[in-house]
Amino acid sequence: MNNGVLDSNNLNGGQKLAVKYFSVAVILFVAQILFGLVTALQYIIPELFFEVLDFSVARTVHINALVIWLLFGFMGAVYWLLEDEAGVETVGLKLGNLAFWVFTLAVTIVVLVYLFVQVGPGDDTTRWLINEGREYIEAPRWADIGIVICILVFFYNAAATFMKGSWSGISGVLILDLVALAGLYLAGMFYTTNISVDQFWWWWVIHLWVEATWEVLVGCIMAWGLIKLLGVRRQIVTTWLYIEVALMFGSGILGLGHHYFWIGTPEYWFTIGGFFSALEPIPLVAMVVHALYDSGVHKFKAANHPAMAWLIAHTFGNFFGAGVFGFMHTLPQINLYTHGTQWSASHGHLSFFGAYATIVIAVFYIAVQQWRGGVWMSGDLPGNGWKWKWSLALLNIGVLGMTMAMLVAGYEQSFIERAIEGSTWSGYFAAQMHPWFIQGMNWRMVFGIVTAAGTVLLVWDLLTIGKGEKRTRQEVS
Amino acid sequence: MITKWWASEEVWRKIAVWVTAGMLLVLMGLTFDTIPKISVGSERVPAYSIINQRIDYVFDEKRNFQVPVFGGEQPLFGKMLSEEEAEALVTWGKKITQGRNCINCHTLLGNGAYFAPDLTKAWLDPNWVDSDLREGLMINFLMDPPNNSMNSSGRKMPNMDISEEEAKAIIAFLKWMSSIDTNGFPYNFKPVEQEG
Amino acid sequence: MIDPVEMQNFFMAFFSGAMVIMLGALYALLLAWGRIKSSPAFVVAAYITYVLLTVFVLVLADTMNFEGFWNLITAVMLVGYLLAPHGIWILSRDTHTHEQEPSSIQS
Repeated sequence: MNNGVLDSNNLNGGQKLAVKYFSVAVILFVAQILFGLVTALQYIIPELFFEVLDFSVARTVHINALVIWLLFGFMGAVYWLLEDEAGVETVGLKLGNLAFWVFTLAVTIVVLVYLFVQVGPGDDTTRWLINEGREYIEAPRWADIGIVICILVFFYNAAATFMKGSWSGISGVLILDLVALAGLYLAGMFYTTNISVDQFWWWWVIHLWVEATWEVLVGCIMAWGLIKLLGVRRQIVTTWLYIEVALMFGSGILGLGHHYFWIGTPEYWFTIGGFFSALEPIPLVAMVVHALYDSGVHKFKAANHPAMAWLIAHTFGNFFGAGVFGFMHTLPQINLYTHGTQWSASHGHLSFFGAYATIVIAVFYIAVQQWRGGVWMSGDLPGNGWKWKWSLALLNIGVLGMTMAMLVAGYEQSFIERAIEGSTWSGYFAAQMHPWFIQGMNWRMVFGIVTAAGTVLLVWDLLTIGKGEKRTRQEVS
Repeated sequence: MITKWWASEEVWRKIAVWVTAGMLLVLMGLTFDTIPKISVGSERVPAYSIINQRIDYVFDEKRNFQVPVFGGEQPLFGKMLSEEEAEALVTWGKKITQGRNCINCHTLLGNGAYFAPDLTKAWLDPNWVDSDLREGLMINFLMDPPNNSMNSSGRKMPNMDISEEEAKAIIAFLKWMSSIDTNGFPYNFKPVEQEG
Repeated sequence: MIDPVEMQNFFMAFFSGAMVIMLGALYALLLAWGRIKSSPAFVVAAYITYVLLTVFVLVLADTMNFEGFWNLITAVMLVGYLLAPHGIWILSRDTHTHEQEPSSIQS
């Protein structure tokens, strides 16, 4: 053990690979924020980068960077806990390393093509090499295939390691979830002219990833995190993981119905979507109660305070972003007015941050702690830990502020554009020029800058926390 | 202390497996029911040759929202197309919208980005004045959006290097998309005036 | 079959939707806390929260023009959100029963 310095001798094989994934994830996170700032500014100054870096290009990078940095964070998290959980060395680590470099190279090429080639003619070559032109899964087909191969290698590493070592409840759920995760991606890998069928399957990827398989994946990370940070007994977290899986899949799989209101699908999806949307908040509430219960039982004595704080932020963020902000505009009677307005953006920002960014950041802190030799990261940090506390505050305030600003803009849009003007183009622009909308976009910019400041501080803290620390980590039982 | 059955790991593992499997089964059943109902040529998603006809968006008392209604002949660019020709044109149009990344400014069926108007009923937008001027205005706009800007917000669509033929294909796709029964989305829409 | 929200009801439709979920969580937390601390005051507060939740569910149902099938959703929300926090509490308690006695039943 080499305390207080970043030393890869402090890490096991899987963890060495994990920190590579985390490093790229942090870079992509910063890229997401930067391009987010550009798009936010383009709402205020429409001429900005006109016909150079148009909104569509910046936004493509913004949302793709988001998906990929979270995915890299999840993959890193799995490599991180792999050997610990299985009790043996990672199987096929060399291949895993190769897949990491291939994946990273592919992402780099895709982003460069987005930025410098941008668009192409309406033929199959464009979809294979430049841009598929479907939201969130813009990556050209060659990259899709590359992603699937890399995920398969990742899956092989995880499954083979557990098979060689020992299985646990967490690893069992994790492996089955990864099968679903990889399988669902295939639903987005074909072309059809029928846009109703196109969006039908597109939602399988988008909804069943973010509202089902990703939720369960972070449930596994959470379960493992509670054991490590609080010392909760394995049997308890495993039972809770199963409870969450039952509730999450029980409500979330058919919760898909709330995306099938307006894409051409039959009217019965109103009732299915409405019913399961009302159930979807229950697992999120259960998670809040259970997390606080566990923290209370263990008297908030945690081995890693920043990570624990981000895990708590995750439970609340998941609840508010996905639960409250999701439910308040999801029933078809109101969704008719909010679908495709800044409402969706408002909900999207809070839920992606609350449910996923938070927990990946928690894992970053767990990783940094071990990377520096398992150092102390509880109370009494140098400077009272101001950097992690301020970055936590700035990021949460920033995202919440953006969410509220977009909520005001979306609320105005549902009135002016939808209810009064009847959703025509002139109605759209009337709503975009309304003072509430303009102020909403201005405040979104302000809170976007707050978020960016929080991100800078977070990166600085991750690079410096625990530096020169001689105390070892707090024991938890 | 013996764990109560409802709090036991074993019981919840079984519940998790059965609930997941059950829900997947229901979803598969619903998928098999839905896909034929949204296939091209179905009642909800008309055949591509619908672009030969007049398309309206009219309030339906029974369903309590607007639904697409199809009238007599109104050939696109004055030319009646066979089913195959219509499919080829609409397909090209959709591929162009994907290749130009339209969905990262616009929404289609309400999904996409929120920087530019929804395109679900773009074919029927009153912005195109009336059915006589519509096709010409749409072509002009698509070929040179910055100089045909139609709003005073300062936001403009960039020039996407769209040729006249490409513009026609896009318009075919938009016309076809406006025929899809979207359960009344967009709501309270005021369609363009059409003759007859 | 849906009857879209009227414009003058927009705010209450959104607001009551948000309140239903937030009060549901508050009710669950107060109930769990009251049980842990064996404090009747918190349990009473929990049920008062639930009464408020009921009000917002009814406001939601009214502003959303619920009819037919949708009344079932109202009923499911009223009953489900009453019982779910109890279920969550019972599971929290009973899954932690052997927390106090380590080693004996280690899996």
